[in-house]
Amino acid sequence: MAAAKTITVALAGQPNVGKSTVFNLLTGMDQHVGNWPGKTIEQKTGTFACNGTQCKLVDLPGTYSLSANSPEEVIARNFIITERPDVVVALLDAAILERSLYLVAELLPLPAPVVIALNMMDVAEQEGMHIEPHVLEAALGVPVIPMVATKNQGTRELVQAIDKIVHGQAEYHPQLPEIRADHLEVLAKIEALISSCVPEPYPENWVALKLLEGDSEITEMMRACTPDDVWEQVHDILKAHEDAIIDVAGGRYDWIRRMVRAAVTRPRAGQITRTDRLDRWATHPLWGMLILAGILGVVFWLTYTVGAPLQDLLDVYVVGTAADWASVLLVHAPAWIRGLVVDGIIGGVGTVITFLPILVIFFATLGFLEDIGYMARAAYVMDRFMHLMGLHGKSFLPLFLGFGCNVPAIMGARVVESERARLLTIMVAPLVPCAARMVVVTFLAPIFFGRAAAFVSWGLIGLSLAVLAVLGILINKIAFQGERAAFIMELPLYHVPNWRTIGLLVWQHCLAFLKKAGTLILVMAVIVWALSYWPGGDVETSFLARFGKLLEPVGALMGMNWRMIVALLTSFVAKENSLATLGVLYGASGEKVSLAEAVRIAFTPATALAFLVVQMLFVPCVATVAAMWQETRSLRWTLFSVVLLLVLSFGMGILVYQVVGWLGG
Amino acid sequence: MLQKLLDKLAAGGVHSYADLCRELEVSEGLLEQILTDLERMGYLKRVGADCETHCAGCPMNNACAVGRPGQIWTLTEKMATGRTI
Repeated sequence: MAAAKTITVALAGQPNVGKSTVFNLLTGMDQHVGNWPGKTIEQKTGTFACNGTQCKLVDLPGTYSLSANSPEEVIARNFIITERPDVVVALLDAAILERSLYLVAELLPLPAPVVIALNMMDVAEQEGMHIEPHVLEAALGVPVIPMVATKNQGTRELVQAIDKIVHGQAEYHPQLPEIRADHLEVLAKIEALISSCVPEPYPENWVALKLLEGDSEITEMMRACTPDDVWEQVHDILKAHEDAIIDVAGGRYDWIRRMVRAAVTRPRAGQITRTDRLDRWATHPLWGMLILAGILGVVFWLTYTVGAPLQDLLDVYVVGTAADWASVLLVHAPAWIRGLVVDGIIGGVGTVITFLPILVIFFATLGFLEDIGYMARAAYVMDRFMHLMGLHGKSFLPLFLGFGCNVPAIMGARVVESERARLLTIMVAPLVPCAARMVVVTFLAPIFFGRAAAFVSWGLIGLSLAVLAVLGILINKIAFQGERAAFIMELPLYHVPNWRTIGLLVWQHCLAFLKKAGTLILVMAVIVWALSYWPGGDVETSFLARFGKLLEPVGALMGMNWRMIVALLTSFVAKENSLATLGVLYGASGEKVSLAEAVRIAFTPATALAFLVVQMLFVPCVATVAAMWQETRSLRWTLFSVVLLLVLSFGMGILVYQVVGWLGG
Repeated sequence: MLQKLLDKLAAGGVHSYADLCRELEVSEGLLEQILTDLERMGYLKRVGADCETHCAGCPMNNACAVGRPGQIWTLTEKMATGRTI
């Protein structure tokens, strides 16, 4: 009596689709576990009977596709090609049918008939998907068996389908993914060239397709077994059609879409989630921007109503007290040492400390918005504005921080991956009106403009942002040749914030900021203090003052004398220095009322407006410049930014003065 | 489909998963797979994939949206300069 024929059945599928369950259902205890030859990847085989036929079931490694992306994929496809199983069972997860079908698209061109086992039909139904297996079968042209393996449903039907296909009793006309006509010609050319070189048992058309896809393993194999002159021709064709991979893979995705459209009914469109509902507003081109503007308004309100008074308290009780103590301790020390410690070191470090309340509010607000999932939407809607500059929404994050302080804005630019976009973000970040600039404006605007101060303040912010936008466009066009950028963003679901997480973030970030910016400010503040102290120990005779007098002709174009120019220049140490310098130079000793009176007399409305415009657009403080240098690692770009802002601020100041003067101001 | 997606990306701009799914008529799951495929082919890159090393020490490390739950993809040089489809 002749021995019964044994057929080989390969079980293919993605990880976690229930392959082990189906394998156990079919083979029971009759299993053997080992490793794939030469690999440490587990190989499971077993046997089962199928209408009197002995079947050897081989569990292929779980794979998402059959490209040479992983050893598992290579094992799976090589087994099908070299061992030629009598049938391949493709086990799919019905609940994620679209994703599962990609593997089928790659299995169908291989030299083994495929039976689809559509597992987890119950899960798909629970998720509102209605799949019609017979329609899918007709569309695919191969048998499709619905299953719920965990309930042992469909196993018998699967075995019958295997039996029928092996004995040629089933319809089997697989509908394969298509590629473009021009690539079909290319494919034919490659196939013709390699036909005599393809080693057995690899199918020629499959090898040609894999070459066109740029499959590394097949390319290496064919390179080794193809004569040099032939390979050169193949290589030239492949090089000329490097992008064919897009067409080949795209053909598979189109094929998947056709299959799913034919056989799957999705959940009703009326079932909109909370996130969808909120996103209709939050990501709307108009409402999204208005919501963002509103949120920004709240952040500003919090900053000025909570942060600013705290900043003042710190200035008085921490910096002021430390300066007083140092003055007492160093009363017998040389004046330059006292100046260095009190004005340079304590003044420099104090600047950082006084910024802290504002930073806390910003970090807390950002942490909150981030934690509930809003920041991704903010970046998304800001894209339209940022894209004008060649930046993308992500640049908004660091620039947003710039409203608090330009230093974290520049440091935050690290989140922008593209070197060019990062540099551009850093270049324009100082144009975001920081809190310190706003302090100067907040103090001077009412003195200069009385009731119109609020209007002027918002106008100045608008001017800064407009200049930021125009400058960004110019830099992008000139330096970056208008390179386009595209981004795809996954917008996370909204959720309830975790206050502990937000608190922890605020703590960590403030600590890190103090550590980093504090050291930078300390060093740079001492250097700049020295420039404003020597050679005579008085700012009026210092190198900075001399430089200011050199610029007096420029100041005259804005109606400014050298004192005003120096006041602007000393803002390089810290923006608030403008106020202190004005106080010293106008003999007011920092008393606000006296200073207010003095500057009101000294400044005409046109000069005052020009002064504020220059203040808003001027070179940022040393800490920001140091941060720019640190982040760009380029002295050239740092100097470029400084010179650019210097020219820009004075240029705009002159323009405003002349225009206001012309209008009768 | 990939052609359509790449053409759309080549025009620039920011696209959300939801927008692309609507346009391509695919689920978010399949879109994720397509994006992963394009990443493998060298056309796209996950933003923030190297955040651990790239952003180490940055005080904004944990405050930014990059690498957080919302995944962001960007074009590679290959996509920006070398696409000849």
